[in-house]
This record gives sequence, structure tokens and C-alpha cells, in this order.
Amino acid sequence: MRNDFESEIKRRTFLGHTGFGLGSAALLSLTKKGLGATASQKQKSIGLAGLPHHKIKAKRVIFLCMAGGPSHLETFDYKPELEKRNGEPMPDSFTKGQPIAQLQNSQLKIQGPMTKFKKYGQNGQLISDFLPWHAKMADDICIIKSMVTDQINHDPAHTFMNTGTAISGRPSMGSWINYGLGSESEDLPGFVVMTSVGGRNPQPIASRQWGSGFLPSRYQGVEFNSSGDPVNYVKNPWGLSPDMDRLLNSTIQGLDSQRNQTVLNPEIETRIKAYEMAFKMQTSVPELMDVSNEPQHVLDMYSAKPGDGSYASNCLLARRLVERGVRFVHLYHRGWDHHGGLVNYMNICSGLTDKATWALITDLKQRGLLDDTLVVWGGEFGRTPMFQGKGGAGRDHHIKAFSMWMAGGGIKGGVSYGATDELGYNSIENVVHVRDLHATMLHLLGIEHEKFSYPYQGLDVRLTGVEPAAPITGILG
Amino acid sequence: MHSTFIVTMVARYVLSHGLTILNLLGCFVVCSSYAEVKKNNQGVAEIDFNQDIRPILSNKCFFCHGPDENKREGGLRLDTYEGATDEHDGIRAVVPGLPEQSELFIRIMSSDEDDIMPPPESNKSLSPHEKELLKKWIKEGATYSKHWAYEFNRSKSRDSLATDLPSASETIDLLIDKKLESKKLTKVEEASATALARRLYFDLIGLPAKSSEVDKLNEDPSGYYELLVDKLLASEHFGERLAMYWLDLVRYADTVGYHGDQDQNISPYRDYVIDSFNHNIPLDQFSMEQLAGDLLESPTIDQKIATGYNRLLQTSHEGGVQPKEYLSIYAADRVRNFSSVWMGATIGCAQCHDHKYDPFTMKDFYSIAAFFADIDEDKHFKVGSNSLPTKRPPELDVIPISSRRKIANLNSKLENEVLSEDEKDIIINEIADLESKTIRTMVTVSKKPREIRVLPRGNWLDESGPIVLPAIPEFFGTLSDGERRQNRKDLAEWLFRPESDGGIGELTSRVFVNRIWYLLFDQGISPSLDDFGGQGVPPSNPELLDFLAIDLMDHGWNIKRLIKNILMTRAYKRSSIPTEELMEQDPENMFFARQSRFRIPAESVRDTALKLSGLLVTDLGPNTAKPYQPDGYYRHLNFPTRKYKQSMTSDQWRRGVYVHWQRQFLHPMLKAFDAPSREECTAKRPKSNTPLSSLTLLNDPVFLESARHFAEKGLKAHPNSSDQDRIQLLFKEATSRKANKELPTLNNLLNKSRQYFKLNPQKAKDLMSIGISAEKWSGDFEELASWTQVTRAILNLNETYQRN
Repeated sequence: MRNDFESEIKRRTFLGHTGFGLGSAALLSLTKKGLGATASQKQKSIGLAGLPHHKIKAKRVIFLCMAGGPSHLETFDYKPELEKRNGEPMPDSFTKGQPIAQLQNSQLKIQGPMTKFKKYGQNGQLISDFLPWHAKMADDICIIKSMVTDQINHDPAHTFMNTGTAISGRPSMGSWINYGLGSESEDLPGFVVMTSVGGRNPQPIASRQWGSGFLPSRYQGVEFNSSGDPVNYVKNPWGLSPDMDRLLNSTIQGLDSQRNQTVLNPEIETRIKAYEMAFKMQTSVPELMDVSNEPQHVLDMYSAKPGDGSYASNCLLARRLVERGVRFVHLYHRGWDHHGGLVNYMNICSGLTDKATWALITDLKQRGLLDDTLVVWGGEFGRTPMFQGKGGAGRDHHIKAFSMWMAGGGIKGGVSYGATDELGYNSIENVVHVRDLHATMLHLLGIEHEKFSYPYQGLDVRLTGVEPAAPITGILG
Repeated sequence: MHSTFIVTMVARYVLSHGLTILNLLGCFVVCSSYAEVKKNNQGVAEIDFNQDIRPILSNKCFFCHGPDENKREGGLRLDTYEGATDEHDGIRAVVPGLPEQSELFIRIMSSDEDDIMPPPESNKSLSPHEKELLKKWIKEGATYSKHWAYEFNRSKSRDSLATDLPSASETIDLLIDKKLESKKLTKVEEASATALARRLYFDLIGLPAKSSEVDKLNEDPSGYYELLVDKLLASEHFGERLAMYWLDLVRYADTVGYHGDQDQNISPYRDYVIDSFNHNIPLDQFSMEQLAGDLLESPTIDQKIATGYNRLLQTSHEGGVQPKEYLSIYAADRVRNFSSVWMGATIGCAQCHDHKYDPFTMKDFYSIAAFFADIDEDKHFKVGSNSLPTKRPPELDVIPISSRRKIANLNSKLENEVLSEDEKDIIINEIADLESKTIRTMVTVSKKPREIRVLPRGNWLDESGPIVLPAIPEFFGTLSDGERRQNRKDLAEWLFRPESDGGIGELTSRVFVNRIWYLLFDQGISPSLDDFGGQGVPPSNPELLDFLAIDLMDHGWNIKRLIKNILMTRAYKRSSIPTEELMEQDPENMFFARQSRFRIPAESVRDTALKLSGLLVTDLGPNTAKPYQPDGYYRHLNFPTRKYKQSMTSDQWRRGVYVHWQRQFLHPMLKAFDAPSREECTAKRPKSNTPLSSLTLLNDPVFLESARHFAEKGLKAHPNSSDQDRIQLLFKEATSRKANKELPTLNNLLNKSRQYFKLNPQKAKDLMSIGISAEKWSGDFEELASWTQVTRAILNLNETYQRN
């Protein structure tokens, strides 16, 4: 009698060699240690066996990253007290011993809200005048006002938001989710990233933000470009006819498979499949990027001009991507880092993103896609209640409180969750850590975050890390 | 259970046969935990703690009952004999000999959710087989032995080794054969001479085999093999190949990594690494120079360049970084890298708490960090933020070692050869030119060490932790004589001193030989190249690992000797095609009954295409290559914004090891073939086959340009050949074999391409505008374009980049 352990080894080994499963390094640690979930051998579009752990509420995610850190105090978190005490020194009791970024060694004084807020929707959600289009979808979104993160500088804060740790080399959440659930697209990658143009001098953004870390490379985010080749090397610079491309591609596949009759190397099968997919992408990617068949009223709704690389165009492309089964779409819009001139730059950033975000939600809703698509909006951190004056009033980085929102698959719309103190400095009620956000996202995707791990350097590493984390049950619909 | 039976059988077998190895080696003593197989009264082999029990305890129990004092539940620790057997409130977790009275056993067998261990919320559970092993272990007395990696018993001195010991290579084979016998695995045959030639070329210099050398080896497989080995070990490309790996370990990159990812000055360090491997600098010296070259007496310029190692970490030049926070990030980065590179240890895990699985405490973590606290890096918080390259003093302007070697050669030419005045002038100018080309490089300068405290939970804002001085991890003992503060030099010496002399040389050596073995077999003797701790996989053949480790130590840490010893084994020369039986019984090739086959590393993929085309520039030297890159690839970089300037000289075709390593946006070709960003130590790259790598080979201009030149080469060299002959010639260049069934397929591609280009003559001409080589082609463009389609196919074949 052969025990389960041995047959498991063989099955997993087979997977490792075909490339459908795990790399051989991971494989070994797998067999040594066992893993909650196991790789599926059926199709590469299918994720781990044993997943989902429970009923799926969201099949896919669109993550709208407002890079730079939008001010919660000028978007969703209205603080009358701040207004009252505008210009007063910031009480020491708040800031003593706390991390601080550019305001190191400066006198700290209170900065009142730089805009007005009004109530919108059935439950009277507070939304600032900077976001008139958000106001129209107040009933669709759940605003979390009590976010906290660990990292106060942009680069590590993004890394933390995306991977759950500030240490480089860990998988991004889009990779985790594709690893767990697989992709539903046959001719597009399961994790697509787009970054938009426009706005103020932007903070850099590193490709590690969509890296697959220690997960197999095929789970990495693939960046789609609005100018040049939509995907690096998807176009042949020589520009031969599609027939010639097909002939070359099939010649390569044919030769590889002929050779494989002699050497019997399962890795070659994977390679042949990769060439097939590459060939499909040469058609599917340009087809995806070409929005000329979208009706004018749709383009107008987003204010998208095809090929302009704007956030609006990327929102439209995000909808096209999820329609085609892409599991995780990550949009970055940079320019939210308002150390000074906040009013001016908020107007610019909102002008570029507010309406398109509304259009995306509306479009998804009209197509029935919002029910099982989770949309997340937010930056890598928030901004200080204290004044910073780099060219007009602004605010510094802040990690103890900020706002994000979620909408769609499994989320209760039209409500706010959590609260900050009277000055918007500390999250004090129903505090939501980035880890809880990850746990919530996984929960909606049918994954229990504690059971979803990957063996790496002797640890069963999870997106949510080792500190306590839990799905935010209060916002689930 | 069947597998228990196997364990027992194997142990029995070792029992009856294992000792013969030892006899054969003349009482050569290897790691005692493996070699000593004891019998109990019934003559049944005992459980081996390290092999059988530690992995279970480590993975399932230590998280709550392990070395980390603060997380220890119920005061119980299972990582020591005392901890497991001591009485707690009248209860003993382990009562040696009596499983039924051992709380541990009672708990693991419990069906009550409140009692069962591990608890359900841990998401860990024990298999029936594991429970059985634990029971057996307790029954047999619950003996503990020190973790394999930290135990090294050389109780019999080296003098007792018999003088008629077989050669190192034979010993390696004997040790492998014994293991294969015990596992009842059948070795495969030796690989063909062609496969061997390709294997040696890829493994030793990272380039495709030269046809003439393949032929020579085929003519005289046994006679020419060693000559070819020696030739390749002596090649200056050997250093480039090993450097690819070393640079992954030490996370060498040309940019700072965080935020603006600005360029930094460091290429002379890369030059130094390549030169050191080429000149076979012993591993201990090579390591000392990198860790502490500045602390040596009157350090040479190369020893200073080598200390660039301490500056390779990622740094940030973002406005608003808090120096204290970043100094703590840098300290942690250094501990992680140092312990991975030299100790195969994950001491980085002890930044916020004692290590969960290995005996490293938080204090150990900060004590190691303190060794590096003297490195001057204050200035980078003040200068250099948005400049390109960023200023990162202390830096030196140096003439790189490769240039100095060239200068020395030229000088000796001047002295020793009869030359005309003109010739002399040319050489003198050349020397002056080389001497004028200094390159800036970051180095280590020691200053008054800053204070290092244990940071509670790793929190840099919390200054309540105790101040620590440089010290090795406590369980290894102590270096200090109580007088002088220990420094990086002491640390480096400790790495290479044998255990008998208070060092961890045996561990350092094991880590290194295991990685070299991995490079030559694609599988480590322990597959955990970067974790020799309790969570790593123990070596499949401990005697082999230890033999290699001792041999390296006893022969002056001679790296080329180590490699040659392995290359001269029968094991290395075996075929990589597994039998069905081996695929069943040893799918991961843990026991080396066969060789491995794998796609060569990213850099070599590039090098291979360029080499076949004839474009490859093979000069050594510090120049950085900036290959063609998609427009706008750096558009997300800022502070300052970046415009990529591709190399417009022959640097364009330098080897992959010299490609500009932009941490945040690694060149997409390298990335597609799994080269790491080098943010952290990488001991093992993944090897993937993704659509992005296919698109790269199909459409990256460097591969199109290579294909064109490869086609030109074929057309020019064989003007009067038939299509068939030409296909054969090109195919053989790339694969070292004759095309068989491939011939009609390629012929079809050729003829269809001819038809296409006849109808689209402009397309044929367009080919010439791809790449900067712009070489005139006086022949028929349509013919060249058609043949380029053929060479593109060849440059996309799996086999072209396959090491067999």
C-alpha cells in the first residue's frame, strides 16, 4: 500500500515539471511541510485545489491606487474641530514620539479642512466638494475612515499595501489571488497593471509593486502600456504579416514538440503552451486596447480619449479586462502627494479621476458586473492634520489614519465604517489595518486568509502576515 | 505504514553497508548524526532525530513551543531535551521510553478539539505517519541531537585519513553510489560527448559550445574531457559565469533600489568579482576582502573596491526619510544578506522576535548588525538625492582591475618584445588611455560605530532596548576576549576558522559547496540553498556534503579545485534524460543518479543568441551594457525623470552580466527569463516558461538583430551551399547536432518566407533598420530576410538554450 504522502509527492512533482504547478524549489518544501491547499493539474486557468474555501462574493478585483496618498481630510473625513482650531499649535499629546516624514524638526500647527463637505445618498455619506462625481455614487461605496498602515514613505508604503510587508521580494496581492484562484482568461494574463499619465510631478512607482515574489513568475502582474507596445515585445518591430507571425510561431512549436518526442521533457510542453499564449496575446492585447468599437456615449461617460493614457481610458480598459476574465486589475494614478498647494493639486487629481471612477462603477453596474467585481479605491497612506507649506498649504504623509472605499462584490454600499479622533490624527473606532483590508479582500474572493500560505524560507508565508488580521465583517453585504 | 518500512529498510541497509564507506575512506569521519547508525537490542535501526523528528517538531510545534521565549505557550519548549522532559505542574511533555505517559503523545492523539495538538486554529495537523514516528522516537528514548547544520564532528583528526585515499572525484562518486545503492536507484549512462561539451560550456563559461571543441571531444571522449575542463576553467569567461551567481547572492545592482532608484557608482566591484573568480582567489580571502577589506593592514586598491559589498544594499534618497528609520532598515538588510550569503541562515527572522525555528535570538540579530555599525553612510541622507548617478560618498575613483591587468600586459610587452617606435607609441598611448579612465565606486570607510540597540518588535522609534556590541550568535560561543570591540574582520575570520578553533568554517564551507553543486546539477545536496536552519530540507547525502566541505577547507578554499573535482566525477557526466523508474522514484533528482536539464540563466540566453550571431563582445571590463529597451520603460521613474540611453557603441553587445541592473525596472529581457531584481539575496532563481519570455525571444530587437547576423554568417561563410546544407550548418551551430526531422519544417519556413518577401520586398529591406549594427549587406535582401526567419526559429528553440 502506498501512502498518501508518496502519491502526493508524485502528483506534485508532475505538476512542478509541467510548470502548471509550482517550481521545484517550492515543491520540495511543499512535500516536506504540506500545504493547506494543493495545486491543480487540470488547467492553468484554474487555481489551487481546495479553493475557494467558502462561497465567492467577488470573482475579480479592480484596485484603484491613488498613489501619493490622498488627504482623508479633504475627501471623506470631515473634521469640524480642525476647522475651529485652524492655525493653533498641534497638541504634543498627539504627535510626541510618533513617526513623521517631511515635517521633521518643524513647528506643527493645525490645518483646517481646505474644502466643504456635504451629505449624499440615502444614508447621508459625507463627501467633499473635490469629489462631485463620487457624490453621485454615495450609495454604492462603503467608505472606511479608520485605515492605518505601518509605512510612512511612499515606496515602502506601496510595498506594504501591495504585499503586506515592507521587505522587498514578496508577492503582490494580484499575484496571490491569481495563484489561489487562477485566471479565467485564455488569452490575457490574469493580473494586469496600468499607470496613467497626467497630474503633477509624480512619485516613482516600482515594478516590484506587481512582482510575483517567491510565487512562480507566471503570476506576476503584466504591465499594459498606453503608448508604444501595449505589452513589451507583443509587437514585432519588423512588422511582418500575421500569417508570417503564425508560421514562425507554429514552426517553433512544431520543432519543440518534435524534439520532445526524443527527450521527453514535460517543461517543453509548458513552453509550447507559452508560445501559443504569446501568439494569442499578439491579437488579443491590441484588440483589448483598441476601444474604437465602444459606443460614443460610453467614451463620453468616462471622458476617455482612446490612446491618451489617461486614468479615464484606463478605467474603461479595466472594464474591458474584467469582462474578458482578468482576475486582478491594478490601476495607478499618481500625483496625490500634496505637501503643498493642496487645493490646486486636489482639483487637478480629482479632475482627472473623479468622473472616470464614477463611470467605471456605473458601467460595471449597468453590465451586471459590479455584483461580483470588487472595486477598491485609496492611497498608500493619508495626510497629516498638520500644515505643511511647500508652495501653499498642504499636508505631510500620515499613517495613523486615512480613508479608502470599497464597492461591488459582497460589500455593503452607502455606509461609512470606522472613525478617527476629533483632529483626524488617530483612527479610534473600528480600526482597519492594511492586513484587515487584505483579509477582507481574500474573504470576498472565497479565501480564508489564514489558510492561504506559501512555503518560503521555512515559513508558511501569508499575504496577511503573522500579526492578527480579520475580514471586516461590518461592511459585508 | 509503507513509508516507515522504507525508512527502516534504508536505515538497515546503511547499517550493514554504510560502515564500509567509512572503512573505505580510511576512517574518514563525517557528520556523526548521520554516520553513526545505532542498533537497539532488537537490531532495528533507531529513529534519527535530525532526519525524522526535527522536521516535524520544527514545522508543527516550534512556532509556539520553540526557541522564541516570548511566544512560548505554557512555558513548554520542545526544541531541547530538557525543555521537553522537564515537569510542568506535574506533567511531562515527553517521558523518554513511555509514549503513553507523555503528554505530547496524548495530545497529538487526542480527538478532543480543546486538547489536540497542534490546535486546529494553527491550521497545522500531524499525519498518522508523523504521529507514528513521534511515538517511536519517544519509545526509543527521545534522544535529541544538535541540528545537522550546526554540528560538525571531526573528532578524528585529519591526520588519521589514510594516505591512499582515492582521489576526491572518486570519493564523491563512491559516496553517491553508496547512497544510490541504499535507495535502490539505478544510475543512467554517461551522456554523449556532444551533450557533455555543451554542458561544460554552459556551466563553466555560460556560452554555447564551440563546434570544433564538440568535435574534438567526440573524437576522443575520455582523453579530451579533462583538457576541455581545464581549458574552460582557465577561460576568462569563467569568472563571468560565476559572477552571475555571486552578484545574485550579494544583490549587486547599478541603482539604489528605493524610491527614485537613482544610479549608483559600483561597477568596479563587479569587475573585481569577475577577476577574483578568474584568478581563483580563495573563498576566505575573497570574502574577507568584501566584508572587511578596509580593515586589513594597508589595504590594496582591490581590497578597497571589494568593500563595495557593504554598500550594495538598497538605499533611499526620498525627501522625508527619517535617518533613524532608514539606518535600522539598512542594518536589517545587512544582517539578512550577510547571514544568507555566508551562513545559509535566516537570521533576518530575528529582527522583531527570537527566531521561531533556529537558535537565533533578537539580541543575536542586533549584535550582528553591530558589526556593520562602523560603516560610514551618514552623508547619503544629506547629499545626492536627485542627482544621477546619485552621490554616495565615501566613493573612490579607481582604475578597475581589468584595466590594470591590461596595462600590466602592455607594459610587459614594452619591456620584453622587440617593437618599432610606432608600435611602442601605440602601446604607450593605449596605456595612457587606460590609466586615464578612472571609474568611481562606493567603498566602505570605517568610522566611530554608531550605537546599536535591540529594537523591541523591530520598532526603530522604541529606544528602550539594551545597547549591544558586535557579537556572533550566542549559541556559537563568543569571539570577544573582553578587551577590544569586535569588528568585521573578526567576523570574516570566524566564518572561515574551523569549529575546533572556535569558528564556523564547516558551516560556511557546506553552504558554499552546496551552492556550487547546485550550479552543476541544478539541485543542491540540500535543496535549501538559503536555509540550513530547522525549516530547511536536510541534505540528501550528508556524507557527500561534508566530504566536499572538508575538502574545500583542507585545500585552502580553492574554488576551481572544488569545481574540477566535481566535473571529473562520473556523476557529473551522466545523461540528464531520466529513466521512467527514476522519474517515479527520484523525480527531484535528490540522489544524482542522473544529471539535470534546464534552461540556462537569463544572461546566458542573451549571450547565446549574440554569440551565435557573431555580435557578442567578449571583452572583460567595467563598461555597462545598455541593450535596446522598449520606449518609455522607465516612465514611472522620477527624481529625476529618466530617459534610457541605449548603448550606441559595441557595449550594446556585451554579455548579460554587464547589463545595467535597474532594480525597480530590470531590463524586460532579463526579467522575462527570471533574473532577480537583486533587492534581496537570491540563491536560486526560478525557471519559468511564460508568454512574456516567448514574446521576448520573438520580438526583442536584440534577438532579431542576432537572427539577421546569424543568417548573414551562414550565407557568407557558405556561399555555394544548398539550402539543406545551410540549414544543417546553422542548426548545428545552435544545437551542436544534425537536424533530422527538423529539416523539412525549416525548409518549409524558408520557402514560404521567400514567397512572402518576393511579394513584400520592402519588408525585406526593413530588416536592416533593426538594431544599431547597420552593417552593409551587399547580397539579396529577400534572401537574407528569408534566412533570418529560419535563424529566428532556431533562436527560439528550447534546445538552443537548454543545458542538458
